[in-house]
Amino acid sequence: MTLLEVDDLHVEFAARGLDNRVRVASALNGVSFKVEAGEVLGLVGETGAGKSLTALAAMGLLRPPARIPRGAIRFEGRPLIGLPDSAMARIRGRRMTMIVQSPLTSLDPLKRIGDQLIRMQRVHGSASRAEARAKAEAMLAAVRIPDPKRRMQAWPHELSGGMAQRVLIAMALVNDPALVIADEPTTGLDVTVQAQVLDTLRDLVRERGLGALVITHDLGVVAHYCQRVAVMFAGRIVEDGPVREVFARPAHPYTQALIASTPGRIAQLGWTVTGGTPPDLYNLPEGCLYRDRCLRAAPACLVAPPRREIGPAHGAACHFAGEAA
Amino acid sequence: MTVARFLARRLLVAIPVALGILFVAFMLIRVGDQDPVAMLAGPMADAPMLDRIRAELMLDQPLLTQFWAYIQRAAQGDLGMSWQGNAAVTHEIAEHLPATLELVTLAVGLGTLIGVPIGLHAAQRPNGWFDQFSRFGSLFGFSLPTYWLGLMAIFVFFFLLGWAPAPMGRISMMVTPPDPVTGSVLIDSLLARNWEAAWSAASQLVLPVGCFTLVATAPIIKQTRAIAIEVMGSDYIRYARACGFPPRVIRRIAMRAALVPVLTFIGAEFTSLLAAASLIEFVFAWGGLGHWGLNAILLGDFAAVQGYVLTLAIASVLVFILVDLAVLLLEPRAQARG
Amino acid sequence: MSVTLPAPSAMDRVVGVLRRSPTFAIGFAILLFYAALAAFADLLAPLPPTLSFPYETLKPPGTGQFILGTDGNGMDVLSRTIYGARYAFGIAVPAGIIMVVVGIPLGLLAGWKGGWLDEVLLRVLDVLRAFPTIILAMAVVAAMGPGFLNVILVIGFLDSPIFARIVRAEVLALRNATFVRAAVAAGNPEWRVLLVHILPNVILGATAQLPLRMAWAVRISATLAFIGIGVQAPAPEWGAMIRQGAEYVISGEWWVALFPGLALIGMVLGLNLAGDGLSDLLDPKRRASGK
Repeated sequence: MTLLEVDDLHVEFAARGLDNRVRVASALNGVSFKVEAGEVLGLVGETGAGKSLTALAAMGLLRPPARIPRGAIRFEGRPLIGLPDSAMARIRGRRMTMIVQSPLTSLDPLKRIGDQLIRMQRVHGSASRAEARAKAEAMLAAVRIPDPKRRMQAWPHELSGGMAQRVLIAMALVNDPALVIADEPTTGLDVTVQAQVLDTLRDLVRERGLGALVITHDLGVVAHYCQRVAVMFAGRIVEDGPVREVFARPAHPYTQALIASTPGRIAQLGWTVTGGTPPDLYNLPEGCLYRDRCLRAAPACLVAPPRREIGPAHGAACHFAGEAA
Repeated sequence: MTVARFLARRLLVAIPVALGILFVAFMLIRVGDQDPVAMLAGPMADAPMLDRIRAELMLDQPLLTQFWAYIQRAAQGDLGMSWQGNAAVTHEIAEHLPATLELVTLAVGLGTLIGVPIGLHAAQRPNGWFDQFSRFGSLFGFSLPTYWLGLMAIFVFFFLLGWAPAPMGRISMMVTPPDPVTGSVLIDSLLARNWEAAWSAASQLVLPVGCFTLVATAPIIKQTRAIAIEVMGSDYIRYARACGFPPRVIRRIAMRAALVPVLTFIGAEFTSLLAAASLIEFVFAWGGLGHWGLNAILLGDFAAVQGYVLTLAIASVLVFILVDLAVLLLEPRAQARG
Repeated sequence: MSVTLPAPSAMDRVVGVLRRSPTFAIGFAILLFYAALAAFADLLAPLPPTLSFPYETLKPPGTGQFILGTDGNGMDVLSRTIYGARYAFGIAVPAGIIMVVVGIPLGLLAGWKGGWLDEVLLRVLDVLRAFPTIILAMAVVAAMGPGFLNVILVIGFLDSPIFARIVRAEVLALRNATFVRAAVAAGNPEWRVLLVHILPNVILGATAQLPLRMAWAVRISATLAFIGIGVQAPAPEWGAMIRQGAEYVISGEWWVALFPGLALIGMVLGLNLAGDGLSDLLDPKRRASGK
């Protein structure tokens, strides 16, 4: 069953500059992907590619001046765009939850950990206080926080970054959602802690058969924790497919560059890294957005490339996808 | 972390600041060209007499010696004699302080009741029409001279309309004042069940408190708005939205988070109004500490000016400690910091 | 979207600023008005500000040539109120210059060098924060004696540490910025790093404060004159005029105190609006949160 389906999503920001001009930044330019039940999809790309924005749009958390001029988002078959707040509130935090990137500052500083977990349940359901307390404690144990009974009484400022991130995972899973969106869940953590936190998240997602969308700029995270991957560039998905497939036969030049630039692979595969900046979002060029940085750019690239199937469930938005480099 | 240890630590920080304030005041009035001796001795005094008074007041000693002697005596509760009232400074302060506290407490209390909700509401939609309106209003309040506002209020409500009593003191001269218990004429009259005095005291309070409240409200609106906007943009509020909390819950989280900084600001506001009260007291002949201190400054009454400044410094230290205590109770992070 | 727009004209920028911060626009317009009053007082005022008509004291507004009436000395209230703008600028501008000239270098050095200078500055700020500046100003002016110059000096120096604090905070934030470290590593002498790399980055934040501090200066100078220790009557200073008018309010001659008070409020409000709007325009963070 398809949990989350994003189809041709566009997001833009309109702002008036000091010179009284309205400037429109096209941040997402036709993003399409699906997350199936029980599947972990990695959304990968460089800073500014629109990964977090995609997550915010899916959660219905975009606020003006951001707006969605075109596209659709469906969750469990229901279109989310235009859904009234009251209906969205029954999905957000209950069926679809989010793990954010700055755990230490995201928890309510004036409430104990246990109470925050209890509030999360009671806001979204009719659990009694005692039930909610028992479940909160069980959840802390499930995210492998030692001595959960005592930790229920802890204040957020008493936690380490890794512990706080585990609490956020507990918050995200305590209501038994169908889909978890993890936005750069391990930035700012030590490498060893990163691995532990991600292991915990993967095990829980697997155990409970949840769908997950993991947003990261780290291909290593994708390789270890995801089944499928979607590569984003300048507000578009340039390549998507099963992780093994994409890593073994990257079809889009950007994916190739991304994989090549991951340390340890550069020498092995002999790809050169293409530098450069992302295109100006205020003034997007026609055609392929990657062509200024692309080694294979050709006159054909002045026309926007369609997604081309290369293998089973593997596609890339490049005119030359599938051809030998 | 016990409360006692916390208090001891705050006092250790506060005492040098209070001493610094006192030192500045002490030096300032002495390096000026006012000569209190001549004023004190009157026009008939001859040179030897002037010298004798000077020696009595230690004014012929080096400044640091004078300051040290003053500190020693102050530590024993002796702040010297006020020349204008010919009474002990401590006695004068005790007599005048309640009138000022009554005025400032009412103004800050009303200012909080009015300013905090306006600031919170304005922060809901930054740059919305209500925000622009309240911002203009608060900047206007910032620009009002209290004393002028007082004069205009006297003209309109006393002279033109005749609704307010004559702006002379805290109770009508035709009414017997109650025995001082708390020092607030209004509360004392109520305690004594002297309704006539209570009514008179209340009606004397209306104009000065009204003017003072207008001035006190402006910074509270501005600061509350800024704090609330910052809180609403914080990570934990964004996360609360991502958790799907309804607006009611989010508002409660934000209010609790804003409480501590707003409280801290109102504490600071209280101490600054304690000083600003001198002007409104001057206009309404209020006879409080501010009025007394202002006169001392104008007359070059050294001991009284020092006592006034010392009182303000101690009051500000006390208010900060009280605010810190409240913060300690409300804010788990402060307990960890100690 | 992909059409290239022509470069914005000066008019576009002006309109943009007005739209972005009507507060600044209104404040700036008010200040222009006051600047015109001060500059052209000789032309605008119907009478010399201290010319006394001994037989025309306390005439209500609209009596003969006295549009806003006369005060207790028989001087024209309108003319005196117009000339008052000169005193306001005459105090606020030099005091503002002192604040900038003393406060900015102090903050630069304290923030950059740290050490005892920083320590002393912080202590002074502690004292100033706990000590109501208005009382300090009164005490100093009372001690130094009344006079235009004393008022300027006291206001300028009392407010300098506040500027120093703003600049100091920004320097501290910039000290470890990559471009500053790069400048140091490239072998630039310290004074050059401070002047060329740090100063331009802190000066904007400080400028936004200037109108607000000048508003304070105008208010305090009027307050000092009102309690009788600042500029002295018959000089046409608004505070001194309100002081003169105070005794007549209770007997119903309202115009002597009313008009200088309104003029004072207008000027302070103009400065406050301009300063508040300016900090909005200059602070990209607040701009962004403004949505």
